[in-house]
Amino acid sequence: MTTAINHQPPRPSFLKATFAVTWKDLTAEFRSHELFSAMLVFSLLVILIFNFALELDITTRQSVTAGVLWVTFAFAGTLGLNRSMAVEKDRGCLDGLLLAPVDRSAIYFGKAISNLVFMLIVEVIVLPVYSFLYNVNLFNPGLFLVILLGSIGYIAVGTLLASMAIQARTRDVLLPILLFPVAVPVLIAAVKASEGFLAGSDFSTIYAPFSLLIGYDVIFIAVAYMVFDYVVAE
Amino acid sequence: MFPLDAPPDTSAYMIAGYTVFFIVAAIYIVSLLIRWHNLHQDMTTLEAIEKENKLKEEKLLKVEKSKTTKKSGAKKSKAVKKK
Amino acid sequence: MQSKPLTLKILDIASVLALAIATYLALIYAPEEAMMGQVQRVFYFHIGTAWTGLLGFLFAAGLGITYLVKQDIKWDIAEVAAVEISAVFFFITIVLGSIWARPIWNTWWTWDPRLTTAAITELIYVAYFMLREGIEDPDRRARFGAVYTLIGGLSAPITFLSIRLFRTIHPVVIGSGDPNATGTFAMTPRMEVAFFFGLFAFTVIFIDLFWNRIRMGQLAAKVEQMKLNLMH
Repeated sequence: MTTAINHQPPRPSFLKATFAVTWKDLTAEFRSHELFSAMLVFSLLVILIFNFALELDITTRQSVTAGVLWVTFAFAGTLGLNRSMAVEKDRGCLDGLLLAPVDRSAIYFGKAISNLVFMLIVEVIVLPVYSFLYNVNLFNPGLFLVILLGSIGYIAVGTLLASMAIQARTRDVLLPILLFPVAVPVLIAAVKASEGFLAGSDFSTIYAPFSLLIGYDVIFIAVAYMVFDYVVAE
Repeated sequence: MFPLDAPPDTSAYMIAGYTVFFIVAAIYIVSLLIRWHNLHQDMTTLEAIEKENKLKEEKLLKVEKSKTTKKSGAKKSKAVKKK
Repeated sequence: MQSKPLTLKILDIASVLALAIATYLALIYAPEEAMMGQVQRVFYFHIGTAWTGLLGFLFAAGLGITYLVKQDIKWDIAEVAAVEISAVFFFITIVLGSIWARPIWNTWWTWDPRLTTAAITELIYVAYFMLREGIEDPDRRARFGAVYTLIGGLSAPITFLSIRLFRTIHPVVIGSGDPNATGTFAMTPRMEVAFFFGLFAFTVIFIDLFWNRIRMGQLAAKVEQMKLNLMH
């Protein structure tokens, strides 16, 4: 009597699966640069347009910087999200990923982290460019933290909604329509906190929007984790 | 500081407000009625098509049946004859 | 399709009556407000639709969660009904709020938390319907709808909180009064009658429309199913 030999490979751990997805995206992007160049060029153009649209004199610039930055990030983020998820769908990667014996949410986290990385890289480049063009000092650790937290929240919801949007007929156009109304709290809190840090205000005034940002991030990451299965189920 | 006299005449806006309310409400109710009517029509049309299809299927089945009975009938009579 | 149940017919009549009485109370019974004049009367319908719209929206989110858990399409039909009616109610809320604002604060729009949140919520509703429009498979449509009502239902209250806490957006007002004031005024007893009856009337109207809309949704689902069957 022979005992059955288990030929199944061991199920990859959740973390491993997540980072596998992230790594796939990052290496693919590293080779082709499609997504990233598009996001970057787009952001720089947006900043340029703002210059003409808003006639920023020195005094206005100070008060408007946070807003201009976040509008730029929001638009660039949408671009990145769209492309990132569309690529999955078009190349059939999504189906492949779904066949893999991993917890579906690992795919969500993997995609979200890679989307976040792209958005952060763009932001890291936009900040010095903006500083340079408008002579505003943006080297502010508080600001960096706000940008990180805001991007996390934005991408958390964005990845979930993008997964839905690409499965609809109206695809690209649909994501901003779905995302912006729902991301309003992130934008409000992020702009308020950014303003506070840039103006050098006392932390007690920045505390409220800051904690709202963290709260939003926690809530929506949790919700996205719980619901992602329903979004990719066949 | 002006003395506390009569409130401003804003009745035009009040009339505008209530008019808009009733117009929007009417539009919505009418849209519900139209959609309901269209669905009802679709339903009757679809039911008619379904009935037609069923009748056609039944006819086909009958023809098939009569063919097979004719065949087996012919076979039987042949068998009988052989015997 | 079965004929309309008697209860619903009675509810239809009750709704029309309730609306008539609410209108009478708002336009005639309630006294004229001292500071704002007659336009204040839109307040009764503005708040009536706002409250029920908001509850309907949260109710829709609950229905969405129930659909995801139970996977029964009837919850999705109910959810669409709730969202649609809330969307209409909120639209009325926004328009009445705007009309109210114009003579008082000399602006068509005040960026106060309530009105702004209502507008953003209305955009969430619109996005909801656009999402559903773009999906052919009924099951997927239902799932996505449920997910979006959940996301929307969570974010709208947070939006309200954040605008209220931070008041970042400053209205441009040329005229009297504090632009950030939410139009508070002391209500006399007769006003309170109009106010509370307005709330009651709109709740009844909401339930009536909701039930009717569900019946229509059931018919629509049947029609869609038959169409899909006949295509094979």
